[in-house]
Amino acid sequence: MTFPAERPEATPAMNTPEQRAAGDRVLLYVRGLGIRPARGLALAARSLEEAPSSPEGAMDALERLLREEGFSPDLLDRGGRRISSFPPLNRTVMVAEEMDRLPWRTSLVRFLRRWRRELFGGKTNG
Amino acid sequence: MHDAGTANPSWNRAASWRRILLLTLVFLPTLAAARTMAGLLPSRGGTALEILLVAVFAVLFAWISVGFWTASMGFVLLLFKNNRFSVSRAGEGMDLTIAGTDARTAVLIPIYNEDVRRVTAGLRTVWTSLGKTGSSGLFDFFLLSDTTDPDIWVEEEEAWHRFCREENASGRVFYRRRSSNSRRKSGNVADFCRRWGKNYRYMIVFDADSVMAGTTMVRMVQSMEARPDIGILQTPPAGVNRETLIARAQQFANHVYGPMFAAGLHFWQLGDAQYWGHNAIIRTEPFMKHCQVPRLPGKGPLGGDILSHDFVEAALMRRAGYGVWLAYDIGGSWEETPPTLLDELKRDRRWCQGNLQHMRLIFTRGLFPTHRALFLNGILSYGSALLWLAFLLLSSAQAVADVFFEPVYFSGTKTLFPQWPVWHPHWALTLLGSTAVLLFLPKLFSMVLILVKDPQARAFGGRANLASGILLEVGLSTLLAPVRMIFHSLFVTATLLGKSVGWGTQSRDDRGTSWGEAVAAHWWGTLFGAAWGGLVYLANPSFFPWISPIVASLLLSAPLSVFTSRASLGKAFRNAGLLLIPEEVELPDELAGLEENLRRPEPYTPFPLSRKQGFVRAVVDPLVHALHTSLLLRYKKKAPARENALEELVEKAAVKGPGSLTRREKMELLKDPRHLGELHRRVWEAESRDGAAQWGLVLPPSESGE
Repeated sequence: MTFPAERPEATPAMNTPEQRAAGDRVLLYVRGLGIRPARGLALAARSLEEAPSSPEGAMDALERLLREEGFSPDLLDRGGRRISSFPPLNRTVMVAEEMDRLPWRTSLVRFLRRWRRELFGGKTNG
Repeated sequence: MHDAGTANPSWNRAASWRRILLLTLVFLPTLAAARTMAGLLPSRGGTALEILLVAVFAVLFAWISVGFWTASMGFVLLLFKNNRFSVSRAGEGMDLTIAGTDARTAVLIPIYNEDVRRVTAGLRTVWTSLGKTGSSGLFDFFLLSDTTDPDIWVEEEEAWHRFCREENASGRVFYRRRSSNSRRKSGNVADFCRRWGKNYRYMIVFDADSVMAGTTMVRMVQSMEARPDIGILQTPPAGVNRETLIARAQQFANHVYGPMFAAGLHFWQLGDAQYWGHNAIIRTEPFMKHCQVPRLPGKGPLGGDILSHDFVEAALMRRAGYGVWLAYDIGGSWEETPPTLLDELKRDRRWCQGNLQHMRLIFTRGLFPTHRALFLNGILSYGSALLWLAFLLLSSAQAVADVFFEPVYFSGTKTLFPQWPVWHPHWALTLLGSTAVLLFLPKLFSMVLILVKDPQARAFGGRANLASGILLEVGLSTLLAPVRMIFHSLFVTATLLGKSVGWGTQSRDDRGTSWGEAVAAHWWGTLFGAAWGGLVYLANPSFFPWISPIVASLLLSAPLSVFTSRASLGKAFRNAGLLLIPEEVELPDELAGLEENLRRPEPYTPFPLSRKQGFVRAVVDPLVHALHTSLLLRYKKKAPARENALEELVEKAAVKGPGSLTRREKMELLKDPRHLGELHRRVWEAESRDGAAQWGLVLPPSESGE
């Protein structure tokens, strides 16, 4: 069995370290995306054809190709919406419960206030 | 304040009589014991020191009496099995169908920097178990994260996404991470209630390590449907899945004595039970309306957020007119105990502060007396340690004083005869005997109950193994009691002196305690024991034997801590058939499922990065990056200074690699989709091989042609 990589006439060799780094990078990226190998390799090959000399150029080309192929930078749900990890909000309030921790003191204060109001007058709440 | 139908429910009358009985059973013997104790002292309780000693003794005697009578009533209840107040009766004879299709239930799993693999395995176990009941369509799951670790955050998102994909659970299993974890777990649950609480009639609250059988969850919903007067239904979770010696002893105690104590608690409490914060079902609407726990005014450990919020929520639910019940006879509810003594003490430190905060709530207007008593009970759970220590130190002080001060033979009043100090050894033995009965008779009761149910005690490995297990557990808990006592005393003192505790993650694996950790934690206790024992031995050698077990335990605290934390020792006991629990003899489907789920292989990734490198994977792995940024809120442009700071952070990360970033800086980047995207691009476009390699961007040599 002969692999294409072993046939220099079929695939031009990547001579410089930058070119090899670019090759590694795009191959790894398409593998990381988890897309079918044939399609991934085709995308990698096209991006390397367009900008073979540096990882930056190759990755830019790959990004553009992915966009053209319909890859979204976001994960989408079945309805084509951006994925969400929680359901739509159905908001309500939750107010901290009144906790009178010293009821005798509150009662005494209320009693004194009422007493003062009755004796000396003052504002009332009706 | 009341909005449930029954302000004076039918069980109230029975509960009142039962509580009067409890009070009588506790206070009369306590009075007798206190009198005996006073009679044993040289001045018959006539000096200030002796009065204090008798008072502390009385409180402690009453405290252990409550435990004894609770166990005794549990024994009676389980022996005769005729309990007209059992909540589980409501679902008797029903199949596993929930009648009301609008009885939707949210299963809440609050997590905080937990082991994601364990959380997901637990979720998958419960999901599968619930799926078998046929009623799973009425349940939704919420992973409510308060995680602050950037790596774990990303791991949680990935785990949720993978779970939804694998189990086809999208729209049924949700994940939400709060950006601010105010009010800790109670705030997390309240946050859920405010956002989605209206969608659900019930919520079942889990801990990160909780597992419940699907049938149990369905039965709980059925009970709540049948009893609209119930606000909270608590199950007694059984401790499982641990291998260390101390945890296995705890699990064993939990299985042998736990059911009896739970039944006893049910006997006194009825609809005034406690909520333990997890493995319970809650009626959502009244919870939202009445159970939001306020912050306590003031600073320091006794102010601010209430750490033991569950007790308060139960009291508030009851105040609103709903019952809080303990379903003591429902099985299929599990949790995991702390694996080591130090982990247990770390947890106790938090609980201690939380329970002591209840001192400020005891007199709150409108609470039912039982809940005030439960607050007091919680306070005494830790306060009793300080009282035991005080009692022992006062006894030692009395023994030392006896040596240095001559007895008073003639008191102030004129008398012909001297007052000889009289020692009544039979009184002392009676008192010691009664205390021992209160402490150890419940253990015998538990054994009787198990043997009545199955004379061969197969669930515990046989009769001999059960008996040996009880003896071992008693021995171990006796050895550890003084260590726990001084730590709990320290916690109480520290809390009262104003030292707060942080929010740590509970250790949930069987890693042991190293010698270094043990010495660092126990050195002061060892020194304290040595000084105490040495002083008493020098001053009054005849008293020394009385305190020698305590001193010995304190001197051995570090080795005890190390050896009891060893999984190898726990496994050796297990192989010998000791400290066995029913789940180890016959593994329930759910726990078998949990084990299997924990063994699931990690998903394939072409990157040489472990799943624990969440941050790096969010930067590098295109799919993880896309998932993370998709789940973030839409990008909003920040103030120029903030933007500049983030750009500098991207530059630093791209040039120096992930190791140059602090945890806070990683969080900053993870929260910002635009700058995270920029870093993702920079890393993938890096020219230098080393620069890319520090982010894991390397093909294996064979594939890269080298």
